[in-house]
Amino acid sequence: MQNLTIQSSVDFVEVFSTSAGAIFQSDSENCWYVDFAGKLARFDYRNILKLKKAVYHIDIEAMLLDNTKSPDVEIIFICACDHCYVLSLIQIIELKELLQGMFVMLELNHIIHDRLCRLIS
Amino acid sequence: MKDIMRVKCLLSSDVETLINQQIKKEAHSSAIYLSMASWCNRNGYDFSADYFFKQAEEERMHQLKFFKYVLDMGGNAVSPEITNVKAEYNSFREVFEEALEQEISVTQSIKNIAARCHKEQDYVTLEFLNWFFREQREEEYKARRALELFDVIGEEGTGRWQIDKHVGQITYSSEA
Repeated sequence: MQNLTIQSSVDFVEVFSTSAGAIFQSDSENCWYVDFAGKLARFDYRNILKLKKAVYHIDIEAMLLDNTKSPDVEIIFICACDHCYVLSLIQIIELKELLQGMFVMLELNHIIHDRLCRLIS
Repeated sequence: MKDIMRVKCLLSSDVETLINQQIKKEAHSSAIYLSMASWCNRNGYDFSADYFFKQAEEERMHQLKFFKYVLDMGGNAVSPEITNVKAEYNSFREVFEEALEQEISVTQSIKNIAARCHKEQDYVTLEFLNWFFREQREEEYKARRALELFDVIGEEGTGRWQIDKHVGQITYSSEA
């Protein structure tokens, strides 16, 4: 898994951040950069939705109640995406919080765009 | 900040989920009607079997219409898994009672999508749904009319044979 480095020319806007990580949007590249678990990963529209679905589908409660001796680790692999996460239970909760915040901010951005477009036109 | 989500997809994730549920519902309806066609055929009700074959075909067409709409708007259409399709019915009348119930439940769930669209001011999807509301008017009329035949003709003697014959002739022509 290779780490990405951000080029200075790329326009970055922070969408949402927590103490565990941050998500940035690049308007010119039409994508998002997720800075989490020690790496920066690039996700396009399709892949960020797949990541959201994968993370939201993890049953955290079942993992917490699971008393078998398996390690509390989940592998998040997204089809047709270069990145894969191997996360502990705490990290899954943190990533879920990060993604939830991101989608709330995107929704807010959508509402603002929607209202502005109507005012202008 | 650009609204990339909107650029890529017209539908909100809630509306997309609801339409995907509707796709499943239409596919389920189609499977149920096929099962009803099979039951009617096995029991000698040939006209009714043909009627349900046609209904199954129509529901499949509705499913594809929703499916294509989600894709055309940039969403993710999910091909549904269909289980729990009833194969046996207690009586000829029961088949039509369940067909009407199915249509009512389809109308309700399309109304549910429309309510969500109103809330989100998604007029594009609302306009698309209008076609289905007109269609449901016809579907519910046909199902109700078929059930009425049981009351009007009665099941005594050659009644069921008459009902079967008349089911094949049910048509609906709306003014608007």
